[in-house]
Parts: sequence; structure tokens; C-alpha cells
Amino acid sequence: MTAAAGERTRAHGWRIIAAQECRDLWLSGRGPLLLFAYAVLLSAVTYLAATNQILNFLEQRESVNLVLQIAVAVGVLLTLVVAADAISGERERGTFESLLLTPVSRGAIVLGKLVAAMSLWGAAFLVSVPYLWVLGKGVAVVGEAVALGLVIGTVLALSMAAIGLVISAVSSSNKVSLAVALFLMLALFAPTQLPAMPTSSVGDLLVRINPVTAGMHYIQLVLLKGHGWTQDLTYLISPVVAVVAAVVALAVAGPRIVRLAGGVGSG
Amino acid sequence: MPGVTLEARELSKWFGSRTAVDSVSFTAREGEVIGLLGPNGAGKTTTIRMLSTVLAPTGGEFSVAGVPSSRPADIRARIGVLPESAGYPAHQTGLEYLIYHGRLFGLSRDEARNTAVKLLGQVGLSERAQSRISTYSRGMRQRLGIARALVNDPDVVFLDEPTLGLDPAGQREILTLVRTIAEARGTTVVLSTHTLPEVEQVCSTVLILDKGKVLAAGTVADVTSTDANRQSGHLRVPPAQVARAKEVLGGVAGVSVLSDERRDVIAITATDGMNAALSAVVDAGIPVLSFQIDGARLSDAFLAMTRGSTS
Repeated sequence: MTAAAGERTRAHGWRIIAAQECRDLWLSGRGPLLLFAYAVLLSAVTYLAATNQILNFLEQRESVNLVLQIAVAVGVLLTLVVAADAISGERERGTFESLLLTPVSRGAIVLGKLVAAMSLWGAAFLVSVPYLWVLGKGVAVVGEAVALGLVIGTVLALSMAAIGLVISAVSSSNKVSLAVALFLMLALFAPTQLPAMPTSSVGDLLVRINPVTAGMHYIQLVLLKGHGWTQDLTYLISPVVAVVAAVVALAVAGPRIVRLAGGVGSG
Repeated sequence: MPGVTLEARELSKWFGSRTAVDSVSFTAREGEVIGLLGPNGAGKTTTIRMLSTVLAPTGGEFSVAGVPSSRPADIRARIGVLPESAGYPAHQTGLEYLIYHGRLFGLSRDEARNTAVKLLGQVGLSERAQSRISTYSRGMRQRLGIARALVNDPDVVFLDEPTLGLDPAGQREILTLVRTIAEARGTTVVLSTHTLPEVEQVCSTVLILDKGKVLAAGTVADVTSTDANRQSGHLRVPPAQVARAKEVLGGVAGVSVLSDERRDVIAITATDGMNAALSAVVDAGIPVLSFQIDGARLSDAFLAMTRGSTS
């Protein structure tokens, strides 16, 4: 390998991996299938919100909020699942060793896979835009909902993708990785279904420390209560801390945990 | 004399309290095909994984093409590896797969494509270049794996059980390819295998491992001769005379009777040649229907050295 080739590997390794991972995700049919299921779910929720005898009592803003929350939650969940499969899945398919045998750094491998996982969030978000537009037609809320979904959803998706990759790297099998990721997701999202969590100080604290509930609550405050974007920024502390911590952990620990075998103590 | 391309010094690997590789040292030169032999669990794959920087050694050091083990990325740029249990992305074509790996080794898009096309031709997969890997036979996947191992024009190629699961024709194709890699490119090839005739066919030197330790190292002739004093053979006598023949052989110094492979054939080993054993049977009036000496083959030396592990 020439010096120029070595330089190219160092500079572009992550981009080459990201491009291939995206091709694998989208051309193998896995990405389109997940996106199709996501679109079906959003269609059903949007249809119910717009036509159901009970749900259509919802004010238009509430309908947009409902669909946006579901779009963000499921989009982030899909991102986490794809990230949790990224390393442990490759190990089980026997393709990971070939990747480790290239001069591309472990950090670049992780970054490439992170970008590919985030591509699913990007696509999911684009799919959700028409639904928000249909429900929000006539009230000036669509633009705000799309912007909120993009910002908060991206922060949450990035933190979950980074956590998913860490889980995938340290898990002894793909089954373990996916199970842990799904449990984490349920544990983080379950509180969003509890009614009126922030009414007590303990409830408010629980909402604030969970990045998912904090992010969702922030969306609700801006979209439903008409608060300004800067009014409740304290609710974004935990999502921002989560994304910074997860990305830093991945960057620092990545080179050590991205190895041929997962599990504690493996060489 | 060709230059040293691979040098391992006291290389060791422990997994917890289990020793997988124990102080392995050897050198290999340009164009040399070195056979890594050993029973299951001998440490062959672990040795290759350490030398290819996928596993970190617990002790010892090594260098590839003069690059020390402290620079793993630079080593990976100079080696090619066909792992034992290599998986392939089923939805990619052979051409796409090689282009991708070429790019990971720093080739430009055009360089990677040209290299991929050339290598696919060299391993006989030109006509299937545009087919998905899921449609490839096992032999074709192994050839594709070898092509991938050559995508960066490496100084050293590690092939871990490249003929595993292949039919005899497929094995022959792979071995021819291995020889070509070493001869035409001057590449050092480290070939890990269970199949001893393969080693005798293509390897210039061998390294026999057992329980992580080097039992023997050197040319095939050197390793075979280390066990030359202990010969093995098969003596065929009438079935009715087998018990008596065993009794007679048991009384000859240095001769051991092994197991009954067939009812009328007695497998024996002797430390000082077979003459005394044969004379004793003939002198006892037992008709000898056939007598065959097995010694002087690599497989005999290998089996003798690793008897405890292979039985």
C-alpha cells in the first residue's frame, strides 16, 4: 500500500464504510421494509386522529403533537435497533473480521456505522413530514412541528444510535444486543405514556432526567402550550447530556470495544 | 537469500487462565509457503489472528515486512487474510465486494475497480463477477476470499483452512492458487490446515503446533526426519495367527503394538527399525501375508508428535 493510499484510508475510511453500510441497509431491503412498516403505522395513527369519532375531538394542534410524538418515538426506536445490530450482527454473519483486517481505524468503523444508522432516522423523519402536513393544514403549526421533530428527534436518535452501537460492540451475541436495546427503549419510552407526569416535583424530576420524556415534553410545551423555543430549554439538558455522553463514550471506548468477539473479558 | 517478511518472537495468548498460544517463535521469508499444522485447538487460528492484529498478544512481539506489532494499522496495510470462518455479504456481487475492500485499503475508485477485475480473473471468477455472492459455491467464495486477501498486494498472506469443506477438485484449485501467489508474486504465505498432503504439496516449511506450543519447525524433510527413528508399520497375518503374532511382537524390545484396525492387520511402531519385529514373527513360524512401513511421511511425524491431542 502506497503512502497516498494510506492517507486516503485515514481520511476517507469512515465515508467508504458509511456509504457501504447505507447501501447494505437500503438495497438489501431491510431499510425500505422498516420504513414501510413505519409509514403504515403513521398512516393508521393519522387516519384515526383525523377521522375517528372519539379522537377527532382532538384539536388540530393536539393531533399534530400526537403524530409527531409517535413519529419521533418510533423513528428513534428503529435507529436504535439498526445500531444495535451493526456490530454484533456483522460478527454473527462472519463479515466483521474482514472489516477489522483493513487498515481503517476502529473509530472510523464506528463512525461509518453511526452515519448509516442515522440515515434511517433521516428517512423516517422525511416520511413523517406529509402526515404532519395533512393534520396541520389550516393552522400555522406544521413548520414548527417539523422543525421541532427534526431538532429533538435528531438529538434523541443520535444518542440512541451511539448507545446502540456501544451495546452492539460489547454484547456477546446479536440476540443479546437487540434484547438489551429494546429493553432500554421500553424503559425510556414507557414513562411518556403515563398521564400528567410533571404535575408533581418528583414527576417533573423523572421527566427531566429521562432524555426521551424530557424531549417529548419539550415538544408538547412548544406545540400545544405555545411556549417559545427558549422558554423551557432546561428540559433539553438531559437529551443534550445524553447525546454528548453517548458520542464521547463511543469515541473514547470505540477503539477498545470494537473487536472480533463481544462479551466481557473476551480478547 | 530472500528477506525476512514475518518474524514472531515468544508470541503468547491467554484467554483468562487458558493458554491458547505459548511462546511461539518463527520467521518466514519472501516467497515462502509456511504450513501451520496442528490438531483442533492447537492455537493455529489464534496465532494468525495475533499476527494479523485482530487479537492483541498477551506476550511477545512480531513484525511484518519490518513493521513492528506496535503499529497494527500499518501491518494490516501489508497483509492479506482469508479467515477461517469468513462470511460474505450475500447481496453484493463479487466485483462490488472486491471494489469495497480495495477502497478500504486506500485505492481510488478506478484503481479498486481495475484491481478487482484483475484479481477476479486470476482466481477464475471473471464470468461470475456480476453475480451476487449468495449464488456462489463454497469453492467460489473461498477463491473470492483469496482475491480479497490480495487486493492490497500484500507482503504476507494468511490463509486459515482455505480448503475446508471443498471437494478434491476445489482443493486442488486452491492449492494451485496458493503456489501461484507465492511463486509469481513473491508473497509469503502462511497456510493453516489439517490436511497434511496439502502441506507436503505446497509448503516449503512447516510449523507444528499442539496446545499452543511449537512442537517442530523447519522444512518438511527436517520435520519428517525428527521422527524418523520411530517407524510405524502394518503387518498382515492370517486371522488365526493374530493373537500369537501380537504375543511375539510384545516380547521384542522397542516394539509397540497399537490397535486392531482390521482383524488380520496389526499396527506396530518400533524405535529401532522394523527388522527385529519382522524377524521375530518369521522366526516364530507365523506366515507374513504383507508388511508395510509407513514412516518418512509428514503425516507420521505429525501424528506421532500430536498423538495425545488427535486421538
